[in-house]
Order: sequence, then C-alpha cells, then structure tokens
Amino acid sequence: MWSELRRLRDDVDYGTPPRDGAPVSLTVDGVPVTVPAGSSVMLAATSCRKSVPKLCATDTLEAFGSCRVCLVEIEGRRGFPAACTTPVEAGMVVRTQSPRLQELRKGVMELYLSDFPASEVPGGWSELHEVMAATGVTTSPYPTGQNHLDAPVDESNPYFLFDPAKCIVCSRCVRACEEVQGTFALTVAGRGFQSKIVASQGERFLDSECVSCGACVQACPTHSLVEKSLFEGGYHRAQPPQA
Amino acid sequence: MPNPRKPERSVVTTCAYCGVGCGFKAETIGGRVVRMIPWKEGKANHGHSCVKGRFAFDYYDHPDRVRKPMVRNRIDEPWREVTWDEAFAHAAAELKRIQATYGSGSVGAVSSSRCTNEEIFLMQKFARVGLRNNNIDNCSRICHSPTQFGLSATLGAGAASQHFDSILQADVILVAGANPTEGHPVFGSLMKRRIREGARLLVIDPRRTETADSPHCRADVHLALRPGTNVAVLDSMAHVIVRERLYDEAFIRARCHWSEFEQWMQLVGDARYAPETVGPEAGLDPEDIRRAARIYAKGPRSTIYYGLGVTEHSQGSTGVMCLGNLALACGMLGREGVGVNPLRGQGNVQGGSCLGSWPHMFTGYRFVTDEAVRKSFEADWKIALDPEPGLRLPNMFDAAVAGTFKAIYIQGEDPVQSDPNQNHIVAAMRSMECVIVQDLYLTETAKFAHVFLPGSSSLEKNGTFTNAERRVSMVRKVVEPLAGLEDWQITVRMINAMGYPLHYDHPSQILDEVARLSPAYQGMSFPLIERLGSVQWPCNADAPEGTEVLHEKQFPRGRANFMLTQYVPTTERTDDRFPLLLTTGRILSQYNVGTQTRRTGNVAWYAEDVLDLHRSDAEARGIQDGDQVTVTSRYGETKLRARISEKMNPGVVYTTFHFAQSKANAVTSDLSDWATNCPEYKVTAVEVAKVPARTEAPQRVPAEAKS
Amino acid sequence: MSHGAAPGSGAQSNRPVIELARLIEMANQIGDFFAPYPAGPREEGVRNHLRNYWDPRMRAALLAHVHAGGAGLHPHVRAGALLLLESGRERTAYAGPPKA
Repeated sequence: MWSELRRLRDDVDYGTPPRDGAPVSLTVDGVPVTVPAGSSVMLAATSCRKSVPKLCATDTLEAFGSCRVCLVEIEGRRGFPAACTTPVEAGMVVRTQSPRLQELRKGVMELYLSDFPASEVPGGWSELHEVMAATGVTTSPYPTGQNHLDAPVDESNPYFLFDPAKCIVCSRCVRACEEVQGTFALTVAGRGFQSKIVASQGERFLDSECVSCGACVQACPTHSLVEKSLFEGGYHRAQPPQA
Repeated sequence: MPNPRKPERSVVTTCAYCGVGCGFKAETIGGRVVRMIPWKEGKANHGHSCVKGRFAFDYYDHPDRVRKPMVRNRIDEPWREVTWDEAFAHAAAELKRIQATYGSGSVGAVSSSRCTNEEIFLMQKFARVGLRNNNIDNCSRICHSPTQFGLSATLGAGAASQHFDSILQADVILVAGANPTEGHPVFGSLMKRRIREGARLLVIDPRRTETADSPHCRADVHLALRPGTNVAVLDSMAHVIVRERLYDEAFIRARCHWSEFEQWMQLVGDARYAPETVGPEAGLDPEDIRRAARIYAKGPRSTIYYGLGVTEHSQGSTGVMCLGNLALACGMLGREGVGVNPLRGQGNVQGGSCLGSWPHMFTGYRFVTDEAVRKSFEADWKIALDPEPGLRLPNMFDAAVAGTFKAIYIQGEDPVQSDPNQNHIVAAMRSMECVIVQDLYLTETAKFAHVFLPGSSSLEKNGTFTNAERRVSMVRKVVEPLAGLEDWQITVRMINAMGYPLHYDHPSQILDEVARLSPAYQGMSFPLIERLGSVQWPCNADAPEGTEVLHEKQFPRGRANFMLTQYVPTTERTDDRFPLLLTTGRILSQYNVGTQTRRTGNVAWYAEDVLDLHRSDAEARGIQDGDQVTVTSRYGETKLRARISEKMNPGVVYTTFHFAQSKANAVTSDLSDWATNCPEYKVTAVEVAKVPARTEAPQRVPAEAKS
Repeated sequence: MSHGAAPGSGAQSNRPVIELARLIEMANQIGDFFAPYPAGPREEGVRNHLRNYWDPRMRAALLAHVHAGGAGLHPHVRAGALLLLESGRERTAYAGPPKA
C-alpha cells in the first residue's frame, strides 16, 4: 500500500485509491484498459476516460458504496454493481452507459434533490452539481415532504461551516476523518431518514475532537462542509420551502 | 442565496509552517488568497493538511503587517518611515562604523527558517562577503543543531535517512521526544495509519501525549521518563541489546568498525546502565526499558522519529548519537521502513542547515576551517573569506552582554520571545548599537531594533524549501510582496550596500549557485524541481533525480561510527526551592512563537499558554484548575493560568511558548548542549505558587500577598 | 580579491569576548563528553572541537586562562586546549569523530 499514495494525481479523481499489483486487462465501453490488480472498476473506467458519475467515492478514501450513483453493467453478472466496490478481473466487459443505467441514476439523483435546497442548484460548482450535469437531472418530481432543509447550520469553527440542508450523508467526511486524519471525530448518528453527520457526541465542531484539518471539507461533494472564506459577507443559507 | 465563490486562480506552492512541507494550491479571487487546498501530488502530504497550512493564512495581509521600511536612532524613539534606499544606506553605514570601532567580529547575522533556501544562502553570503566574518547562524541552533552534530558524528549525514512514506513499511516505530500528532500533524496521520495496520509504537516522552494515546493509536511501551534522563535511558536500552545479544553482528561488521562497537559495548554494557539502575533514576519500571529495547531490536523493520525532546538538552548531541548508535547496533539503516529521522520543526530549517547558515560551516556541511572548501568559495565569489569559525547565536548574545558584540541583522526570527533566558537576551539587545530586523510584523525583538525592513511572506516570493525529508519543493509567488520587495531582494540590496556588487534576475540563479558550491545539491535546479514536483537531496551525478533513502550501500564516510555516549546529568537540578521540573512543547493550532498563528482564527482553540500540572502537585500547593500561578526558576519568573492534567507524572510541569505575554522563556535556563549550545529548554527546575486572588476579605494585608 | 579590508581585521577591543566563567563551563562540558575515550583520542577530541567550533577569540581567551594555571578546568580539557598550539595540527583541521 505504501507506494500507492504516490500515484494520486491532482487533475484526476480516480474514485478509489490507486493500487500496486500485477496488471489486469479489461474493457470499459469497448475501450481496452490495463490497471493493477486490486483496482476498482471505477478506477479502470476513469483511467480510460470513461468516468462513471460518483458522489460517495474519492480516491483518497477506500470505497464505501452508499450513494448508488456509480452503478454499471458487467457482462455475465446480474444486477447493477457499484463500480467503486467492484474489483477488476481479467477479461471483464464493463458498460457505463445504457438506458437502464440512466434511469437508475436519474431515480437516485431525484431522491437526493428532493431533500436539497432548490435555490442552490443554479450557479453551484460542487461535485453534486457536476453529477447533476452528467445525469441531466436538476429537479425533483416529488412534492415537498419531510426534509432536512431547516437543520441548524454549525458555524462554530472559525474557518468552515456545516450546513446539513445540503448534506447527502455520503459519509466521505466521516471516512476522511478516520482514514486520512486518524482523529475519528465524526460519525453518522441515527438510522434511515434520521441519519445525520455529527461531530463527537453531537457537539458543535469547535467543541468536539475535531482538529480542523479540513480533510472533511475537502472531501465533501456538495459544499455542505465548506470554507467560510469562499463567501463574501457571511453565510446565508437557503430558506426552506413553505410546506 | 449565494453559492460559494469559485476561485479564479490556483498556484501550487509549499506550506511554510512546519517541517512536513505540505504541497498546497493557493487559490485567489481578485488577487487575494481565499483558500489553501492540499495538493494531491505533494509527496510529503499526498493531499492532506493540518489546520495551520489549510486555514491559517490570513496573517499574510493582517493589519499588523508593516509595509514600509523604518529607522530610528534609539529604541526609545518612535519609528520613522523611510525609503528602501535610505534604510539600506543607513544600515550599511552603521554596520561599517561599528566594525571600524569595535572590530570585524562585533557584528553578525541570523537567517530565518521561514525563508527560502535562496534567501538563507544570501544571508550567509551577506555575513561572509558583506561583514567579512563567519558570525552567521540560523534558528536550528535552538532546536536541531544537535541533530546536525550527532547524526554527522555517527552516520555521516545530519538529516533524516528516510522519506515519510517509508513509515508505511515499518514494523516498529520509536518516537522519542516528539509529538507528531500535534507538531507534524500530516506526518502524524500517516504514522497512525500504519499503527492501525498493526505496527508497534514505542514512545519516549515525559508526557502521555496524543501520540502515545489517542483513538486507535496507543503506545505498546510508553517510557514517561524524568526530563533530563534521555541519555541514561537510551544507554540502558543499549545495555539490554548488548547484554542479550540482540544486535545485528553481520551489519556491524560490514558497515561499521567492530573495534568501535566493542568500545561502545563496554560502555553501555556496564552495570551503571542496567535497567535496574537507570529505571529508578528516570522514574521508569526497568521491565518497560527491557521491553522497549527488545521490541526495537527485533524489528524486523524499526524506525526512529525524534524531535526537540531529544535535542534541547545539555546532552542533546549525545542523545542524538545514542539514537544513531541504536540504529547501527540493530542494523536499522539503509532500506525502507527503518532509519533515524529528525522531525525538523520549521518549514525550511533543514534548508538553513544545508545552505551553510552556520558560523563553522559553509553550504553543504563543510567546515570553514577546511582550506580547500574555503578556496572554492573564494574562487566563485572572488573575495577573501575569514578562515576562522564565527560566533553562534547564543555566544553573540553573551558577547553583546560582555560589550564586544554591537550589531546584528536578524531575518525572520524573534529571539526575544523564542530564545531561552529572556532577561539575558533583553540585556544583550539593549547593549547593541544597531539591530536590524527583517520581518512581517513588529515582533518582540523589533522592540529593540533600530532598522526595520518589512519582509515578505511565503505567498509573496519564488524560491524553494527543504523539508524534514530532505525534499526540496517549489515556493511560488501567489501575490505581489506587500512591501514591494521579496526577502531575497532585500538581502541582495544589503550586500550591495556593504560594497559587494551582486545581482540576480531570479531566485533560480541563486539555486544554480548553490548547486555549483554544494555537492549534495549539485543536480538541483528549478527546471528539475518543476519537472519532478520535488527532489530529495543528495541530487548529483550518482542520483540525478534525488535520493529517497540514505545509506543504502555506503555511509557518507564509508562506514558509520559508534560514539561513546556517557550519561552526564544536567547541572539544572531540583532542590527544596525549585522542586518541580518544567518542560515545554507545542500544540497543534499555534506555531512556534505565534507570530503568524496568533494573527489568525486559530486563537479560537488556544488563546493563551497554560501551565499543566499534576493533581497531586496542585493540591499540595492549594492550586485549582484555572487559577493564576507564578512560575519561578533560578533565572526568572512569569505568570500563567494553571490546568490540572493527568498527562504527566508528579514532579513534572509543562507549558507552551506561543504567546509573548506568557514569557515562558523568562524562566528557562541558560544551560545548553555541550556541542552546539542548543538551549536546554526541556529541563528547568521551578516552583509554582498560586497568585492570591484580589477579591479577598478586606482584612487581608496586600504586602503579605507579595512573595 | 580586493573588496575592502581583509577579513577579521579592524580595531580590537581588549574586553573578553565572553565571560570567562562561561567559557570554562562550556569547555568542561566538552570535556565531559570526551571523558570516556582513551587518553590521546580524548584530548584530540577536545582540541578538534575547539578548533572547528569556537570563535578564535574564545579560543585565545581559554588558552590565556590555561597559561595562567587553568583553574576550574578538567585536566584533559587543559591538555586538549594546549594541543591547539601544536603547529603541525593547524594544517589538518580534522573534522570527524574521535577514533576509539
């Protein structure tokens, strides 16, 4: 594992950590590609410029498979496996685009957008916005129901804030705090719809064990965790819709 | 509702805070830095960062920044703004006058570890061609100069033998006198990653630090030794290794001198260093010493990371030699996952060492007294050079107090806050006739200055830094210098003002000169570093793209040397008047003397230095958590807020030195390492007493409250 | 090679560059390190260290004290300091560790 960190590139996010290993050859959308054994299908796809949209995956963290956006089709296998958690195998034939995959991704994105402030959709540049562009989904067809749009913003840390209204509980922040920083300050509390990211025992970030390394901010795909310095004159959160 | 603004421009550069030297992308909007985001291709950090480099950059355009040169004739006069030309002319005239009056050796200079390699090189050149002496020093004097001495003496090279990633291959990690989780956080995270994978951790530190005990990262053996007993404990570990025959004989015979090993074996094998003897002296269980020694020797890959808890002692250099001896005895050198690695503190303090900012050495760790080396510099610079070693910084202050040292040019350092025995330093500063300070703000030292040259932060210039892995990385200009000149340009003008013509179009030419004059940097150049991202020295014909791991086939002198490391207890002893031992350290959010971080949001975590003391010591003195206390030593006194802590043993108290008002260094001693005069910050005998509250019953007589 | 005065020149003050007590303390500390070495290398080690690391005025002040009896200095430190005066050694500024 020790030399794998050195394969990280700044201009590419492979989705899952680069590996050392014997070469494995496969095809993605008809394009042949060779990657080290232990790499994910997502990494292989990115390596041959056939990227798969993703939300909970980033190449500084181990794969997690929670967002369900990166689904692909693999010849000879049933269902729609997540590209991030599927290791490559020799001779694999992978398809990243198909009408069914488009439908599935659209369905997942519409669910995410049903609990995301609609006013923050235009003009944004987070990874979530990139996936919206890639999947062509910018609105949700669902009527306004229960949501987290008025969850309180935590501005306790002098440098960054956490706006749970934009959070999709992908847990990249939790994993960054564990795997990269090693402080284990964050966790997902609750289950199902009640799931939310908390610091320590549900404290404010500043009062928790957080050491403000910024790894979670860097990992967040929706700008839910975001630097205060990118806002001019304070943070104004979106108003929740009138029910 | 505004989405976050998207940065317009992004420049890859290197963090100037600690010796990890993380690669960052500095992002700007409208010419102002708004975000520092880690660079995933930075080989020191692989896309990670800590609170300081990531967020605490606002200091660079803080209102306190001085933007115009200033002079004054006396330190009790107000400052007068002048032009750059006037400032240089005034400074040079003063320096020349003082040399004519008091002698060539009455002036000196100090370079900054927060400045680039090119700038440090120019400072030592200033002393040598401008002042015509070797009174040039750098701040590693007060932290890692014993590393330079001790590792050179044993291994032949005074720098880390490995790169950081090497720790991911270690089986045993020995951390001595360092707290990477706080002091080198990004490296600390890498270390914790390896420990979660199963590597064993040995910690030598008087405190149970975050490194020794934090989630999923606990030391297998924690030697919480009494401050000042490092050499005894390390020799005791060596005792176990030789008595139980755990040493690597094949390695020693092939790579060292067997006769030296036998001499060393005889010294450490003596009953004096048996764990049963040393344990009680150091406050340790002898069995823990044995366990640590056995785990280290067994490996198979054991690595050492150490810091100022080893070097800042009267036997600092000896302590470093002990670590070198241990690694040699057990064959833990010359491959991945092993080695002896000093955790250099500041962003470019390794550069300060490499670039010859020493009174006794030129660039490339070669002695001033070595005629052949001196002649090569004389030929390149076309000027005769002083053949004698100059004064070290602590000796400059001693000489100032004695009246024979009268002027100093200090770049980016704040000795009044950071050097020990503050009363002595202040007396030294007052006795000087011309103090020239080049810095970003009016520091504690600037209070005693006659010339102030406004410097540039690392965001405002081009150059290179060398981190604790010997890795040379680019520092790129992100914004124009706020005061108009980059630091290197200021020193060039100072050299010109002293009468030596010098001109560079770009810092890359300075690195080219360094490469000409320094074997380890021979192949270095800006184009090479641009192409590879960073280069670890030595970089020469044998290693054109740099060297990751040292000592693979040979040591620099061929074979390595065992040094005889007898334990000499410090003369700083506790007694009835001063029964506690004070040791000092750092915390995560503040950086050194806090010049930069105190001017950022980091004060949210830590707004003042506190004194940590054990519950039993507090109770015995009627001190409660949060009380104001006086801390007194044989050298001075200061006041701090007390905090009860379980992290030390009774008898040991601890504080940090990040805030000027806490005056931690008013209390520290003037004792220092025998070889390098590195101050013994880590051991001061003190007494702690509660400051009586003012809201007492009216009958209390104020006079009695004073003590 | 004609930039200004030769290095190391200028009016000399006849005040001690550093207080004598401190010089003695520093010299003895050096001596303490070399004490476990055999006689010969021990004095050589002291001499080399003084030669390579001490400003010449500091060395001169120490030697003056040695000539005046050397009170307070350990014997091998006195002997090591005197080695500074032996002419042959000035040419070879040996920098390595003392050979055991």
